[in-house]
Amino acid sequence: MKEIIITVLSITGISTVLAVLIIIAEKFLNNYGECEIDINDGDKNLRVEGGSSLLSSLAANKIFIPSACGGKATCGLCKVRVLEGAGPLLPTEEPYLSKDERNDGVRLSCQVKVKGNLRVYIPEELFNIREYVATVTNIKDMTHDIKEFRFEFKAGEDIKFKAGQYMQIETKPYDKVKEKAIRAYSISSAPSDNKAVELIIRRVPGGLCTTYMHDHIKVGDEVRMTGPYGDFYMRDDSDDYVFMAGGSGMAPIKSLVMDIMERNLDKKMIFIFGAVSKKDLYHTEFFREIERQNSNFRYVPALSRPEPDDNWNGETGLVTEVLKRYVDSGKGKHAYLCGSPGMINACVNVLVGSEFDEAKIYYDKFS
Amino acid sequence: MKQSPRLNQIQENMQPGAFTAHGFLGDDDRALKDILRQDDAEVEKLDLSHAQIAGRMQYFTERGKELLDIPVTVDEDYEVLVDDHRGEIPCPFADNQKAIKTNTRFTNKKLGITVYWSDLNIHMIRYHGFYEGKGSFFRNDPKTLARALGLI
Repeated sequence: MKEIIITVLSITGISTVLAVLIIIAEKFLNNYGECEIDINDGDKNLRVEGGSSLLSSLAANKIFIPSACGGKATCGLCKVRVLEGAGPLLPTEEPYLSKDERNDGVRLSCQVKVKGNLRVYIPEELFNIREYVATVTNIKDMTHDIKEFRFEFKAGEDIKFKAGQYMQIETKPYDKVKEKAIRAYSISSAPSDNKAVELIIRRVPGGLCTTYMHDHIKVGDEVRMTGPYGDFYMRDDSDDYVFMAGGSGMAPIKSLVMDIMERNLDKKMIFIFGAVSKKDLYHTEFFREIERQNSNFRYVPALSRPEPDDNWNGETGLVTEVLKRYVDSGKGKHAYLCGSPGMINACVNVLVGSEFDEAKIYYDKFS
Repeated sequence: MKQSPRLNQIQENMQPGAFTAHGFLGDDDRALKDILRQDDAEVEKLDLSHAQIAGRMQYFTERGKELLDIPVTVDEDYEVLVDDHRGEIPCPFADNQKAIKTNTRFTNKKLGITVYWSDLNIHMIRYHGFYEGKGSFFRNDPKTLARALGLI
């Protein structure tokens, strides 16, 4: 018995000494000191304390790289070209980088630890991204699983964005969710409404962020967000536009249409909105009103599976079939699509088959 | 036998609030190694493999994706409805794989059995032999699933 106690105490003592040694060693060995991040060949030089990820070091200096997973290497969005000092590519990055990107030095900034001086390239437009603390001022139920939120910025703050772009929202811990979550949502309001942003969010069953937005957030709450992000915005070099969306994909299209109307641009537009049944339609009157006021705009809601008591007289069937019925030739036209990957892929095929230039088909897949 | 630290970490990833709001384990209080072992034994007893089951699920999901949001009748006896949601979800087994949030509602009309799965379920069954914990929304008992899919 005595021997067992002595053995246990000895092992515990040795383990404790080793743990203390490891902590001391980490303190000295992992002390990278101050490191320099050179951005775009000297355009900006940041001095940061080494040891953090490149993503968080940049964010601490108000340079926000798109990221939807909060640095867990699960979204693959936070790509940055690192020209020097990144160290070897990690297995966690490999699935997200193409061969060309790897050759170009593209890395996931959440996985690159700042251990020394770095030289990086960051696209200019990312410098416009800012951090906001906004207050929820309105929450509207649009359908059984879609809500529209209005977030107003603090007095004196405003935002400059292009219709079609998105914001990243940070949710707070709730129930069993112990960590914050970050997700991207398209702006549904017009760029002229620059003291606030509106977002349309569909509930994802079991979703970390959408559960928070649908069940926990309330008017008066403050939310941290960054933006604007994204290259899904209108290119002006066409007079004829086809817009297509499904579900919460209506958000960027609504912003685009409002922007075109407000700027009195002389554009011919058709907006085909795909939904399952009548209970999934929303903002119908909003678009009908635009239709009444502007003969250049046509709104076509289409139901894939109307319920018998929907008494639906509008378009039915696959959204791709509806698209074929309304768009004959794509010559000179631009198309903007926002929805599920399945919907986008199917619609792109139809559009290409209708003589649309593939380079003029812009889309925001739900991924 | 104790569960490995790696499986402990994976089981942590499966808790509510880690990767999804509800997690992957439902009210199952077994260790992950036991969930995997027992489902594996059941699949072996059926003389099937996880890859066979996952392959059949994939087949129906792909057929369902041909018609968006509309129920599709496949091979006369089956009805498939596929529904997409925004975003992707990483695999809790930390294998650097992620799946689009696509859900499939599958009905074996002949047997009157309806089961649900996500694209992530297909991946987790194929590569990890994981059918989720009991009480979880997407839990599919291997025997019931194999029957519904027409494999036994």
